[in-house]
Amino acid sequence: MSRLVLARREQVVRGGQPLAFFVGLVFALVLGAVLLVISGDPVIDTYQRMFERSLGSADVLSTTLNRAVPLALAGLAVSIAARMGLWNIGAEGQILFGATAATLIGRIGADWPGPILIIAMLIAAMLGGALWALGPGLARAELGVSEIITTLMLNEVALRLIRYLQNGRWKDPEGFGFPNIEARPDQAQLGAIWERAHLGVIIAIAVIAAFAWFVNRSAWGYELDIAGASPKTATYAGISMRGKVLGVMVLSGAIAGLAGGIELTGTAARLSENISNGFGFAGIIVAALALMRPSGVALVAVAFSAVQVGGLSIQTLGVSPAVSAIIQALILFGAIAAVVFSTYELRRVERKVAS
Amino acid sequence: MMLAEISITEPAVIGLVVASIQFATLLYLAALGETISERAGVLNLGVEGMMAIGAVVGYIAGISSGSPWVGLIVGSLAGAALAGIHAVAAVGLGADQVVSGLALTILGLGLADFVGDEYTADPRRALFENVDFPVLTDIRWLGDTVFNASPVTYVAVAIGIGTWFVLNRTSVGLGLRAVGESASTADAAGHSVTLVRMSAVMVGGALAGMSGAYLSTYVVGAWSVGVTAGRGWIAVALVIFGAWRPGRVALGALLFGFTLALQLRLQPFGIEFSPILVSMTPYLLTIIVLIVISYRARNQPSPSPAGLGKAYRREER
Repeated sequence: MSRLVLARREQVVRGGQPLAFFVGLVFALVLGAVLLVISGDPVIDTYQRMFERSLGSADVLSTTLNRAVPLALAGLAVSIAARMGLWNIGAEGQILFGATAATLIGRIGADWPGPILIIAMLIAAMLGGALWALGPGLARAELGVSEIITTLMLNEVALRLIRYLQNGRWKDPEGFGFPNIEARPDQAQLGAIWERAHLGVIIAIAVIAAFAWFVNRSAWGYELDIAGASPKTATYAGISMRGKVLGVMVLSGAIAGLAGGIELTGTAARLSENISNGFGFAGIIVAALALMRPSGVALVAVAFSAVQVGGLSIQTLGVSPAVSAIIQALILFGAIAAVVFSTYELRRVERKVAS
Repeated sequence: MMLAEISITEPAVIGLVVASIQFATLLYLAALGETISERAGVLNLGVEGMMAIGAVVGYIAGISSGSPWVGLIVGSLAGAALAGIHAVAAVGLGADQVVSGLALTILGLGLADFVGDEYTADPRRALFENVDFPVLTDIRWLGDTVFNASPVTYVAVAIGIGTWFVLNRTSVGLGLRAVGESASTADAAGHSVTLVRMSAVMVGGALAGMSGAYLSTYVVGAWSVGVTAGRGWIAVALVIFGAWRPGRVALGALLFGFTLALQLRLQPFGIEFSPILVSMTPYLLTIIVLIVISYRARNQPSPSPAGLGKAYRREER
């Protein structure tokens, strides 16, 4: 008798981890193609259309960059928390509540000059996101409550809060009875930098660059890594775990909240249930694929954005836009396998039959 | 809220109880599956995706065969098959359970939309009919509510009792719990951690798939994009609310089912309160319960399986 076991390779395949994303991408595209063939859809046309409509021209490329912003910021939020072993599954809710807080400022400052209003809205979005992460952070820091579940639950609460506002207090009186929230002030629109791309792209790059430096070079970032690797060592070294947990969760929430503020002032005209489009969840996948590194997050976010933007264009070919979500998830599963098989290999082990 | 205008009528109360039982059944099946998976030490955040795939496949199998039972069974198999991906990634390959589970939700929702593309707004139906018990169904109040539900409700109760029995009274259940508490100890005692965990994840997927199929063959009766509407997350919450025990999860399912039913049935009582605010309650209740559990757990052990969320590789123990 023999059986298969996963055993550590004598020599780890070099580049296995950084290249895992590309292995995952190929894996996803191949399986996606199989799925398209089974359902009788044109494979080449679909992929060609997805590519052309996401990266093929300056116009669509700028749209892809815009959409990469919330994905990258959500990914950054998740990765910073993950550096010290925390799972912020609530980026979705923090984006939604951040955008809600920004909308509130938009209502208060409807006649403020554009730049001041935008800055106020983005700050409000960060505070909103931070506030939405504060509860889970406190519960984790003080009582050890799993932040995975609390942040997850608050996603659904934030979604319903927006649903409540759009059917009640904030309903657009000129919306012809449709439950829409009033549009934000026109002057609260982030300026264009290139084609359709708006200032949010620059803001996101700046934030990511700042954190790449902060996490990798500052004492704070070093403490973060120690706290993540071994809470006992951290406590022994005089690092306050409570303070760190709370600080990191609030910071993570603020970054996700900023994504909500940028969506509202950059791409969307008004707050709605769909303002996040699942960016918070995709951000977790992005962070995992980027191995929790800020610079990797930016690159993976652009790739995911391209798959999403391209996915929206294939409906005209009669292909379900759900192909995009399938490919995104399969990239992750392919990458998981790639990471594991760069370190481990399947070995056939003889098993002695008991006598 | 206008309390003065509340009017409690018999049809309104019966309607509310009937709807509560329907939603409780839906939540219980999925939560029971997640309980089994988590008791073996594997968190699966893919419930929403497994429910969605169960709903669409169950619907298609139902209308193709003309039998909702076929829909329920095939939907369960589809849920188990999807869970197999989590089993391979998170158990077999030792990937992070949180990431793999969330990716499973994205994959499941995407696959469900893809498969169900042509079946949205399909007028065909394969629906369960309510069970008509002799004598019991004629009892006033109880007959209209408890003894006149869909057969799936009674199936769910039976599976719940079966799960309790297997977990607490059999060696299989003991092995499963041992693997969930301490994988290395269970391994040393001769249990195959990988086999037990993979099986638990797949059984969990089957129950989530069954829950989805029940949605499309009874509660909603059809397939449409977004038909699961976040109920998979409630099922995940329910497991914690019920402290990982089949019996308490059932009580939680009735309570959460009640809140889902209440959203739809505030009007018959003349209550003017936002159903959307009511819909927040399962999530907020779960957070409160988690905090209370943790507050108490300073002095007593947590009800959570000790090995929950930890991948196990024999050579690295």
